[in-house]
Amino acid sequence: MSRPAASARAHLLVRREHPVARIAGLIGLFVLWELLTRTGWVPPLFLPSPLAVLGSGIEMLRSGELITHVVTSLERIALGFGLGALAGIAVGLGVGVFSVLDAIGTPVIAATFPVPKIALLPLLILWLGIGEASKVAVITLGVFFPMAINTYTGVRHADPLLIRAAVSFGAGRWSLIRKVMLPSALPMVFAGLKLGAGTSLLLLVAAEMIAASSGIGFLVLNAQNLMETTKLMVGIVLLSLLGLASHWLLTRLERVAIPWKADA
Amino acid sequence: MTMRRVVLALIVLGLLAGGPAGAQAPLAKVKLGVLKLTSSAVLFLGVEKGYFKEFGVDPELVYFQAAQPIAVALASGDIPVGATGLTAGLYNIVVGGVRIWIVADKGREWPNHNLTALVVRKDLYDAGARSMRDLKGKKIGVTQIGSTFHYNVGRYLEKDGLAAGDVELVPLQALPALNDALTARRVDAVATAEPFVSRLEASGVGVTIVQTGDTFPWQIATVMYSDAFAKNRVLAVAFMKGYVKSSRHYHDAVLARQSGPAFDEVVAITAKHTGASPDLIRKGFPYQDRDGRLMPGDVARQIAWWHAQKLVKTPLAEKDIVDESFLREALRAQP
Repeated sequence: MSRPAASARAHLLVRREHPVARIAGLIGLFVLWELLTRTGWVPPLFLPSPLAVLGSGIEMLRSGELITHVVTSLERIALGFGLGALAGIAVGLGVGVFSVLDAIGTPVIAATFPVPKIALLPLLILWLGIGEASKVAVITLGVFFPMAINTYTGVRHADPLLIRAAVSFGAGRWSLIRKVMLPSALPMVFAGLKLGAGTSLLLLVAAEMIAASSGIGFLVLNAQNLMETTKLMVGIVLLSLLGLASHWLLTRLERVAIPWKADA
Repeated sequence: MTMRRVVLALIVLGLLAGGPAGAQAPLAKVKLGVLKLTSSAVLFLGVEKGYFKEFGVDPELVYFQAAQPIAVALASGDIPVGATGLTAGLYNIVVGGVRIWIVADKGREWPNHNLTALVVRKDLYDAGARSMRDLKGKKIGVTQIGSTFHYNVGRYLEKDGLAAGDVELVPLQALPALNDALTARRVDAVATAEPFVSRLEASGVGVTIVQTGDTFPWQIATVMYSDAFAKNRVLAVAFMKGYVKSSRHYHDAVLARQSGPAFDEVVAITAKHTGASPDLIRKGFPYQDRDGRLMPGDVARQIAWWHAQKLVKTPLAEKDIVDESFLREALRAQP
């Protein structure tokens, strides 16, 4: 009785991609959904068919309604996410590099980080009004914390051997930050960006559900108020696509920014 | 669920067969969705005075925050009976294939009865804003798109010969938020309801320029049955008999007189259920028909308006959503 050759067992080491199964799973879900609604067991009011949702989406695209909502939401996200990410990276770097800032910043961040940002929304509305400022501010806050904490962790976990090597080769503080600490923090920064993207979508919808008259969150809430379930589903599908798109974009960006982490 | 309904029907049947002696038979429990507002007074009255129990129905009050959730609860079968405002969302539920039945009057916009109004910011009023014409291009706060307040603004505009696009509607989701927004000058006017109207005037933030009831009377609120409850004919009629009795009491004690011990009793009952102050309650009793009859043709008018605004996709026929047969049967039994 001989054991099979190592090459015969090698397939156990390879995790195959199964691209067909991937697509079949999604299509199967849609077919099942469509069939379920066709049987008439579930009234279309509670669960509209995927084809009806698609049709409604196309109709909204034609009328320009969809574009208005998506553009408004993207503007809010871009501004809030951009501000939050920049501020988070700056603060994370500062706190990570300078021990005085670490002493001041760490307790402050630790104390304010656990507050759910949605709970701050009423306060922000009180301070900044029901306009754009409060919506952008809550997204900024939501993105700031994961960015600051991740950047800080990334900087602090820079390989001490590399730092020592750089210093002994005569690197100054600025050069050390730019050439060693920042690059080694990059994987953590991107993990933070991905976390922040998810959070910003969540906060966008929450903010747009209070006192907005456009945006995807408003679209969802308004459709609920009017009991237009098909439009509501269009909004949910849009949010799902937006989440997918942002993740894809950030993964792409990560490959460009961190070529040495190409296997990720 | 169905089993319970069958049992309930049998109980009521037994009760009717037993005649007056059936008073000792167990009562049929019926969940009744209402808003915790003065406008629900007629239902609080029926519960407290035992008018529903006289006909074998024991309503269990379920409180909601807004009109739309009541409509959704009726559609999903969570409550068999609801009493609230008529919204575009309600009509869309029926368009979407789930039946809900409008069965009786529960409040009308009516001359000399303050219910909903348009309140304009004080500084704009001082600058001469007196009608919708003066508010062209301005921001008007409403609770939601498709709400009774949205309908009000649309009708105010039409009355002045303006179109829907002549003002900007700002949906703020809740009545308290409307007061805050007007106070903070984020909107120029708000379409709101008592007691918020009185509060805005008392604080000097705004001035009422349109009282809806004086401008155009309409059927703002109704009693509604879920489809399953409507099919339970005996119980549905029994509930209506109690409602008619309560409605007549409400009309005679509150609307016909404006004071006296009978009036005060209704104020006290309403205060007990809403927790509002008696002074506010006195001002906020809406008008409704003594026999609970709906304003003829008004539901059709509302559906046509929402359809013209493209907020209700398919024009519903009134017979697909209104069923006054329960009320008529109840009225035959107690003329």
